[in-house]
Amino acid sequence: MSKKEVLDNASLQRALTRITYEIIERNKGGQDLVLVGIKTRGEYLAHRIGNRLAQLEDISIPIMAIDVTNFRDDVTNHDSDNLGLNSEDKMNITDKNIVLIDDVLFTGRTIRAALDALIHVGRPKSISLAVLVDRGHRELPIRADFVGKNIPTAQAEHIKVFVKEIDGKDAVEIIN
Amino acid sequence: MQRHLILEDGTVFAGESFGAPATTFGEIVFHTAMTGYQEIITDPVYDNQIIVFATPIVGAAGIHAGAYESMKPTIRGMIVHDLAEVSVNRQRRMNLDRFLKQHNIPGLYHVDTRKLIRHLRETGSQKASIVDFADDHAKDQLVATVLTNKQVANTATVKPYANPGRGRHIVVIDFGLKHGILRMLDDYDANVSVMPYTTTVEEVLTLDPDGIVLSTGPGDPRVLPDSVLTLIRVLQTKAPMLGIGLGHELFALANDAELLPLSSEHHGMNHPIEEIVSRQMMYAMQGQGYAVDPESIDRNKLFVTHRDLVDGAIQGLRHRDYPAFSVQFFPDGAPGPLDATTIFADFFDTVEDYVEHVQS
Amino acid sequence: MLFIGSGPNDFGRESEHDAAIFQVMPELNQFGLEAYLIDENPYSLSLESLAAQVFWQPLTTKNIKNIIHQEDIDTVIPLFGGDRALRIWTQVVQDWQKGDGPLPQTLGLSIEMMLKTVNVAAMTDYLAEAGLPVITNHVVHARDEANDLLRQVRLPLMIRALHPIVQNTRRIVERVDDFDEIFNQVKTQSLTQEVVFSRAINGLKEVSLQVMRDRRGNKLRVGASEDMDPIGIHTIDSLSISPVLTLQDQVLQKLRKYAFDIADLLQLEGTMHVQFAVDDDSGEIFIIKVSPYIDQMAMRTTLATGYPTILVAINLAIGVPLDEIRLPHYFHTKTAIMEPMMDHVVVKLPVFPFGELAESGVQVNRQLSSIQKSVGTVLGFGRTFIEALEKAIRSAHFNNASFSPTFMQGISDDELIQQLIHPQDNRVLLLIEAIKRGYEVDELAELTHIDEFYFYQLQRLLRLEESVEAAVDNIGALKNAKEHGLSDGLIARFWHTSFEIIRTLAQENQIDVTYKAVEPSAGEFPEHAHQYYATYEEENESTQVATDSILVIGNGAFRMGDSAASGYLMTTVLSELRRLQYHTVIMNNNPHDATLMPHLADKQYLEPLEISDIMKVVEVEQPKAIIVSGNRRKLIQALRDLEQNVLIMPKQKHVPSGPTTEQSEFALNFFFDGHDIYPLNITQHTVGKLRILKQKITAPIGIDPEQCPSPGVYQIIWYINDTKPMVSVNTQPIDHDTWLRPMPFGQVAFLNKAMQVQWIRLTVRAMLNRLTEEDYQLLSELNTKCQTQTQIKMIDAHVDYSLHLQSQNDIDSTRFEMGVSITDE
Repeated sequence: MSKKEVLDNASLQRALTRITYEIIERNKGGQDLVLVGIKTRGEYLAHRIGNRLAQLEDISIPIMAIDVTNFRDDVTNHDSDNLGLNSEDKMNITDKNIVLIDDVLFTGRTIRAALDALIHVGRPKSISLAVLVDRGHRELPIRADFVGKNIPTAQAEHIKVFVKEIDGKDAVEIIN
Repeated sequence: MQRHLILEDGTVFAGESFGAPATTFGEIVFHTAMTGYQEIITDPVYDNQIIVFATPIVGAAGIHAGAYESMKPTIRGMIVHDLAEVSVNRQRRMNLDRFLKQHNIPGLYHVDTRKLIRHLRETGSQKASIVDFADDHAKDQLVATVLTNKQVANTATVKPYANPGRGRHIVVIDFGLKHGILRMLDDYDANVSVMPYTTTVEEVLTLDPDGIVLSTGPGDPRVLPDSVLTLIRVLQTKAPMLGIGLGHELFALANDAELLPLSSEHHGMNHPIEEIVSRQMMYAMQGQGYAVDPESIDRNKLFVTHRDLVDGAIQGLRHRDYPAFSVQFFPDGAPGPLDATTIFADFFDTVEDYVEHVQS
Repeated sequence: MLFIGSGPNDFGRESEHDAAIFQVMPELNQFGLEAYLIDENPYSLSLESLAAQVFWQPLTTKNIKNIIHQEDIDTVIPLFGGDRALRIWTQVVQDWQKGDGPLPQTLGLSIEMMLKTVNVAAMTDYLAEAGLPVITNHVVHARDEANDLLRQVRLPLMIRALHPIVQNTRRIVERVDDFDEIFNQVKTQSLTQEVVFSRAINGLKEVSLQVMRDRRGNKLRVGASEDMDPIGIHTIDSLSISPVLTLQDQVLQKLRKYAFDIADLLQLEGTMHVQFAVDDDSGEIFIIKVSPYIDQMAMRTTLATGYPTILVAINLAIGVPLDEIRLPHYFHTKTAIMEPMMDHVVVKLPVFPFGELAESGVQVNRQLSSIQKSVGTVLGFGRTFIEALEKAIRSAHFNNASFSPTFMQGISDDELIQQLIHPQDNRVLLLIEAIKRGYEVDELAELTHIDEFYFYQLQRLLRLEESVEAAVDNIGALKNAKEHGLSDGLIARFWHTSFEIIRTLAQENQIDVTYKAVEPSAGEFPEHAHQYYATYEEENESTQVATDSILVIGNGAFRMGDSAASGYLMTTVLSELRRLQYHTVIMNNNPHDATLMPHLADKQYLEPLEISDIMKVVEVEQPKAIIVSGNRRKLIQALRDLEQNVLIMPKQKHVPSGPTTEQSEFALNFFFDGHDIYPLNITQHTVGKLRILKQKITAPIGIDPEQCPSPGVYQIIWYINDTKPMVSVNTQPIDHDTWLRPMPFGQVAFLNKAMQVQWIRLTVRAMLNRLTEEDYQLLSELNTKCQTQTQIKMIDAHVDYSLHLQSQNDIDSTRFEMGVSITDE
């Protein structure tokens, strides 16, 4: 097994900063904005971006996390109560501009599941997608609106995103 | 030979002459940077200024081929405490003293620069003159002198030129740029076209830029023609834009913000600058006589990205609707810390995003 | 929170760690933390701190573990005790067993990184892996491999045997032509025929950076210095200069970036010193040492810039980010986050022990090398390099003979060249002599690998001295000399007169000293500075601090003998004066000495300690009294001649020699309060060991108070030709073979701790007639109440004299003491 760091701590921070600025650029000051992180690492990234927005705009943006393990199309038994959303969260997404946040965009199946889940519980005004890494190999017609870093990869390679909260460091590595 | 520095407020300092024995007038400012004297005196941002160095000895690193920020220094004088004569070029012929002589710039050493700086700290910048004799005639002349406000015209290029590369096409609008900007663009292998500040929207768009840089430059940006602001207003909607120093001030003006002259100008590399979004601190060379007035910012157009943690002054702005941003400090590290060179990485990331966006 | 001290003083270990720990322990209160400390050094100030619970025990893993268990320690902070503390703590961690309970957390640096820090090879690999420039070793087995390598790496190369069969196989290849021969030779000297290649860095410029990093990853540079002497001479033995003068901004900024990268890599929360080798010609940079803990550079940078490195470091270790640190009121509110700028020059000069050793007939190798030989350090502050150098030389107190401008005249040209290539302690004077003899600057620069800038400066100095010498009584020449840092004493020597005449002449002609503040903003902001140095310019910034101040004269550079104890003693004096609410002014020039801690004095003068320097301070401060240690007899006399009120901390002129291997030196110790004599105890001193007898002294001592010149601790000495530990000795009557002396400072320090009585503070109070009822009570009950810890003995610390000094003779470990420790065996 070989591994190679493709984003170090500093570049990871910069990527999140740039995504934050671009979210502001396309959302006119964060009105009606809700950040939804896809568990596990997407949730931490959502909080990072949320903190950044709060630093800049002095507003607190709702941040939610969803767990889509049960919504993947490769899982048959869908259970909408198992999304990790409470009823207040469900109400909150209606008519909001949602930014869905994940660490890696690969086949697109996770995102599709997240979209299904969100639409299943409410009716957002819009949904856009932010990912830290886009590694290609899409299997669905999904593309990210905000990309931290495009990292073209081979199918056999793995992308591992580390976040300080649970992994003790911020980095992205390619693992062979 | 003993010569004199006289300030508009009547204060006189005696010192030993070095460089050219010329009589000059300029605005006097003090600089606290401990290294980088060659870069500082050749940076067009100091056009028409007399610079007092806080660092006790100047000249010990010689004059290097790789440390010019412009081909021709246009400062009006250099005041130091102690002067070292060291040559480092292959001919062993060029040192600071000879360099200033060559460009007809006077210098004074053996001056109580700490006293002078403590004085300027209280009075703020003012007119000053380097003369042989500090008599009434010299003082009258200083008072009567009106310093030029055409510093950008004096230092910026009048003709477009290219600094070719194989990467993204970056158009630099030149207001008296420092070479550090071109060096940084070169690090990204950018294909650079430098345009005079009198250029037009059509000229720039015909070049089909992937990104636009508003360069550093000297003086008060408010004396530049309105056409410059119009140019910026249009170009910021067309391609990613980065403003630096004077370019930052112009970017602010173009988006309806106003400038305040600083009571005490700030020239150095010791202030922490906070990137607000990440709360990270960085240090960079700063050379500013003006700051953007925070009260004047239209929150629908701009937001503040960087501030000086010492005096709170705005150090960075970003447009709310376009990938356009600017920094008051000099992120090119010539001279100065390399902490903020990531500003260029941010710019090129934005350029890549833009190019991809346009293509798809 | 447990602090681990740095143990005994040694080569490269003065009082910097003790000073740092002493300074930061009281800071913990504001965070609701409790401080604990273990150290074994009897001269430790911190062990007497009221801000911590202290353990005066040998620094062993066992003792540290015991304290952790006994006191429920949950946090350990080894970084302030330097590399020694770091090593011991990593041992404790590695020895930690499951049954030992939870391992306390370590602040400032993770255990993983500490293990790398104490293992040079591991650190080098770690840095190399991160793409940082380090010197890598290549092991070569065969000839063709060697040829390949030769094409990859840059000359000069160092080649040595991997498994040497002879001593010292290191050879340097300067030219390709020499490669074959040297390679073949070294190969035969290697057991396995394997040789190690690395880039040779001897002769390159050595540059040091001091940086800070907080938990959030914010970093700043505190300072930088360059060594005049090239790599090949130990950095502590080098003359070094701050700020960096001869490097281009671009190069310095690269070093800064590397230092920051390392701080990030180590995830450091604190301060770090990084040493670099810089090749001016090729632009190559190598990282040669990483010290992510308090060391001498940290202390020196603090003093040179005015940036409170130590105070900030403790905040960072606790987890306070840089921009939230609250500093004491005497700093500008933004001081912690502003990079310090300097508008003065600081020259650091090492102090070597060769002169004193030679006087005692000890022959040592004086040639400087990569092994440290110096024992102390002074700083010279000035506005030009020459001024700072002159003041550093004066501070280092070359003895009169070697300071003379004519000293080097006798050296032959051959010797001169030899010494230029293989420098000795008198290097600066040698360089001046070489210039005098007409050697060209580029020639000298090539021979010595010293930057040309310094030769130009020395040329200026030489011209200056010549012009002063030639213009006796000329006021212009006097002004010029004073502006460049020449002392009244030196000018007096040039003009064959006395310093008093020069002083008066300068005064009469308005050539006045101006004191400038040492503060980190270089004049940009008003700072509440209280450190000053003298120069001769237009504006003076120092005015009298108070009408009731007491001036304390520090001891300057450490020397062999009891320097660390003297520093401890003078610091305690300052601390006691503060407690008695006097305003204090300190003059000193040793950056590693605790007397220069910021909170101990209302004002510091970072100056040489000659009579002329002191009198200039006296003129500004008009102190009520001047406290001097008793060994500086000439100074005391000179001050008294000038009608100053001098108070003396009793001390002999020279550090006494210790007992021989066959004898015991006994001392009957007593305290003298200025009127009466209070017997304390009896100590037995054999080679390398000092113990206190349990025996009580009941009978009065037959000493006439007239024999003690001032209050203090004294002892009556006699010898017995027996080294066995004694239970008691007969003191009545003391026969004629005894003599009286002030107790050496080192023994006072030991006695303070063993008796839990602050003899130095009592001495200060006695001198100032401030002894209290309680003091007299204590003195009268000494025999009955005082519980002396007689089981603790003071012993000489292990010091590798032979490695450092390559001496032919035995070295008297009392007279030439480097460090002491304790034992309870």
